[in-house]
Amino acid sequence: MSHTILVEVCSAICPWLGLVWCLLRAARFLKVPLRGWMLLAVTSAIAAAVILAPVQGLVVARWVAGLNANFSIPLTVMLALIVWEHLFEGSPFSEQEWTAALGFGAIGGLTLYPMALGLGSVDPYEWGWSISPLFIVIGVLTAWLIWRGNRFGFVLLLSAGAFQLRLLESTNYWDYLLDPIYSLVSLGWFAGRLATSTRSSLTKRSSKTLPRNISTI
Amino acid sequence: MVLNGWIVFEAGSRPSGFLTPEPASPASTRPFFFEEVVNPDSPYAMSHVASICELPDGRLAATWYAGTREGAGDVAIYLSTRAFGDTRWSAPRAIVTRESAARDLNRYVKKVGNAVIFADGAGRLSLLYVTVSIGGWSGSSLNLTSSADGGATWTPGQRLTLSPFFNLAELVKNAPSALIYGQWAVPIYHELVSTFPEVLWLEETQDGVRASKTRVSAGWFGYQPALTPLGLNAALAVLRNDDTAKTVSIARTDDGGKTWSTPHSLDLPNPDAGLGAIRLSDGRLLLAFNDSKTGRENLRLALSTDEGQTWARIATVAEEPGADFSYPFLMQASNGDLHLVYTWKRAAIRHVVFNIPWLDGWRGRSSQ
Repeated sequence: MSHTILVEVCSAICPWLGLVWCLLRAARFLKVPLRGWMLLAVTSAIAAAVILAPVQGLVVARWVAGLNANFSIPLTVMLALIVWEHLFEGSPFSEQEWTAALGFGAIGGLTLYPMALGLGSVDPYEWGWSISPLFIVIGVLTAWLIWRGNRFGFVLLLSAGAFQLRLLESTNYWDYLLDPIYSLVSLGWFAGRLATSTRSSLTKRSSKTLPRNISTI
Repeated sequence: MVLNGWIVFEAGSRPSGFLTPEPASPASTRPFFFEEVVNPDSPYAMSHVASICELPDGRLAATWYAGTREGAGDVAIYLSTRAFGDTRWSAPRAIVTRESAARDLNRYVKKVGNAVIFADGAGRLSLLYVTVSIGGWSGSSLNLTSSADGGATWTPGQRLTLSPFFNLAELVKNAPSALIYGQWAVPIYHELVSTFPEVLWLEETQDGVRASKTRVSAGWFGYQPALTPLGLNAALAVLRNDDTAKTVSIARTDDGGKTWSTPHSLDLPNPDAGLGAIRLSDGRLLLAFNDSKTGRENLRLALSTDEGQTWARIATVAEEPGADFSYPFLMQASNGDLHLVYTWKRAAIRHVVFNIPWLDGWRGRSSQ
């Protein structure tokens, strides 16, 4: 397999996983009488058939690549974990590990995208090409997470391995760590959590300030 | 950590060291100026964004894009060559179409756009070109292809990932500068949330082309840079400007492009239009620009003898009220002759050849 084909296959994994996840949700909604590995096999096959279906001379995966050819490794792993959760109940990642993954996506996205798009004088994307503090910071973070037993550290290690093997079209380390979809999902998740906690604290506060006879109605 | 450390070592540092043109032995000491149309029989209503380079055997190669209108699906990038001493350009040939780019890159391509051609010392031609898959020019990505047979055949285009945001909004307009170890510094620009100039560093490795980029100015200032090397580590970026000042701006590096000075305005107008600039082999800088704050109805040349601090207008290449002469691209050939290609009324590509004595003669006349 040539490296070009390998890169094209890798760029198709994330859309394929995304489609598998959508099919699993649809199967649950439609109460399809399949479970576990059998459901995975069927949804994976259908998703693969769709992803590889030719449309106007291009397979669907390459149409997706026209929009984004560099899905990050963490997004790909997170999608795989979500698929796993759907099939087998119980998450392979603890809440702390999900928080680390989404926190990385949110903080990384806020660090990278605004400045790389010109909202600042420094371009952090430059740090992903060659020797830079980015490699050291990610290396230290990876080691720290693994030392703390947080398995998101292994996802970062996997990203470093994928970068070394140039499994994406990009040759910039950032693109192996982050992509706009991952960062938007992460920011959305944190925004949602913030909204929920704000709402619940407001509710608590208002229930505390209400006269006893009203709050018990 | 170990793996990350290895990556740090493997990634290496970016190329550096600008090559400045060798002093040329002029082909003629008599002033001359010659103008021609590169694509006189173009069947299309629109031709735009020309570039030109010289092959080691003296042949010239020019590219531009043409089609029914800018951004249309039938726009293709054309190549024409002219043998040394020949008086006519070869019939233009489409070398990148929307369909061929989609095939090469194995993805949907909505349209093709700006392209810049350049040649290395071994005679290999390279073409850096824009494709768009979604949206307008802000959806541009850059691609690279090369030819080892003078443009007869081209390698499949290779997509360069240069932006973290869906790889969008990277474009090219002006000539690259060769670096001392065979790499290239290509002036490119970004236009999405804001516009700003950048340098694309291209390096041939065993695993293919390695690309990286650095920013010339902070966001929000200038674009379509023309890169003019001044020395091994010094260069000027001459910038098109879309702000209210409507003047040509320059930024300077003295550390091989690592850092750049804050761009400052020159006493030359710019109607938010593309410009071309080169360093001549005698050290002077030559600029081709629209000498107006409002339109592109003229195309003039200006010279600087003090590394871009001051400029003197020296010649008018084209002028007609209400007309559009735009996107000049300059090149000095190995025999010292100067070549300028530009968009003529959006309908054709004009090629102007002149020499240093002609340039100096104009200078004398204009100062009288």
